[in-house]
Amino acid sequence: MDSVYVIGRDAVPSLLRLGAGEALRMTLVVPEGESCKLSLEVDLDGPGASLDLAGASLSSGSEQVDINVVVRHNVPGCRSEQLFKSVAGGSSRVAFDGLVYVARDAVRTVAHQQNHSLLLSESAVAESRPQLEIYADDVECSHGATTGYLNPEELFYMRSRGIPEEVARQMQIEAFLAPVMQRAGFENQDTL
Amino acid sequence: MSDVLLEIKDLHAGIEGREILQGVDLCIRRGEVHAIMGPNGAGKSTLSAVLAGRPDYKVSSGTVVYDGRDLLAMAPEERSWAGIFLSFQYPVEIPGVSITNFMKAALNARRKAAGEPELKPAEFLKLLKEKMAFVQMKGEFAKREVNVGFSGGEKKRNEIFQMAMLEPVLSILDETDSGLDVDALRIVADGVNRLRSPQTSAIVITHYQRLLEYIVPDVVHVLKNGRIVATGGAELVQQIETEGYDSISG
Repeated sequence: MDSVYVIGRDAVPSLLRLGAGEALRMTLVVPEGESCKLSLEVDLDGPGASLDLAGASLSSGSEQVDINVVVRHNVPGCRSEQLFKSVAGGSSRVAFDGLVYVARDAVRTVAHQQNHSLLLSESAVAESRPQLEIYADDVECSHGATTGYLNPEELFYMRSRGIPEEVARQMQIEAFLAPVMQRAGFENQDTL
Repeated sequence: MSDVLLEIKDLHAGIEGREILQGVDLCIRRGEVHAIMGPNGAGKSTLSAVLAGRPDYKVSSGTVVYDGRDLLAMAPEERSWAGIFLSFQYPVEIPGVSITNFMKAALNARRKAAGEPELKPAEFLKLLKEKMAFVQMKGEFAKREVNVGFSGGEKKRNEIFQMAMLEPVLSILDETDSGLDVDALRIVADGVNRLRSPQTSAIVITHYQRLLEYIVPDVVHVLKNGRIVATGGAELVQQIETEGYDSISG
């Protein structure tokens, strides 16, 4: 199953259960101008269940984007991958809360969670609260979070080749979001 | 059209409140290649940064006239449109942006500024392939992210590739020889030499004479403590090679 949800257009389910061997690939897109409070819980209830979840948000005004994800590994041998990328400008505020819970019996769990934010202004805020709660041995779990600004060296390099500052910024933002946007079918135009 | 392309007068500039260039004078005519040599910390890279318009470098006094225009009043992209190209000493990685998209954006921005229509995909592709061959780059190269995971030699070849794509009037090569093996150096120098013409000029900035065996300059300057302290021909390169920078008083 492969599904794309665009906030403001699609209703996102709040609770999902994956049984034995089921695989879900899910992509959430929060477009510019959309404030939201998303809450998603996924239970991996059958051995071999697999979740591949990605999200992207772009905010440039006064949006408030709250994303709360709980993934529960309840049985052995399940897998979850999460990638969330946010670009925040203006006075917008993005908060990502991500909990990965691994039950005592859920050995051989593989769970990775990444959350990266790009800030476009001094007054934009990105908060990241990744959490791992692990009660089983023999698991492979990791999380990572970064927050940064556009790289001035990259901007100058692009401008020195004749790319106007605004276009250069736009290209950097698109490149940052591309890993998620490409999954959602919003391809970067590349003729080669 | 004057035959003077670039005229720098009494240029003082620096970074973070530190004055590095302390009165540089330089005049470059069309068709000339000038070498600027100097020890580490002399201000060579500051000069190239100021000419390309790096925002963190500040000019405190002096003038730079390029092709009859006040260069210091122009944004970096405007300088590029006017034909200035800086080959970076440390080319910057741009994750997620392919060489193809990067060059397409650069060429089309320039055409837009000149009031010309965008290049057709077929025209762009033809140009891309032609210039890649120029620096002996293979097909996959165009799909790679700009400078990401490139070797030192590939980064410098990529600079010369971009130079060939943009066909600059004034090229500034900042330590293009650093970190290059002889083969890569030859490819880079060949590229630069083939772009030489009576209408275009180049500033070759280097610490060593090695590059100047491949790119033979018309004029050689020695930059020391933020000023040009000597100007001459090939004999100056020889003097530096045998006696060092200390032999040239500033």
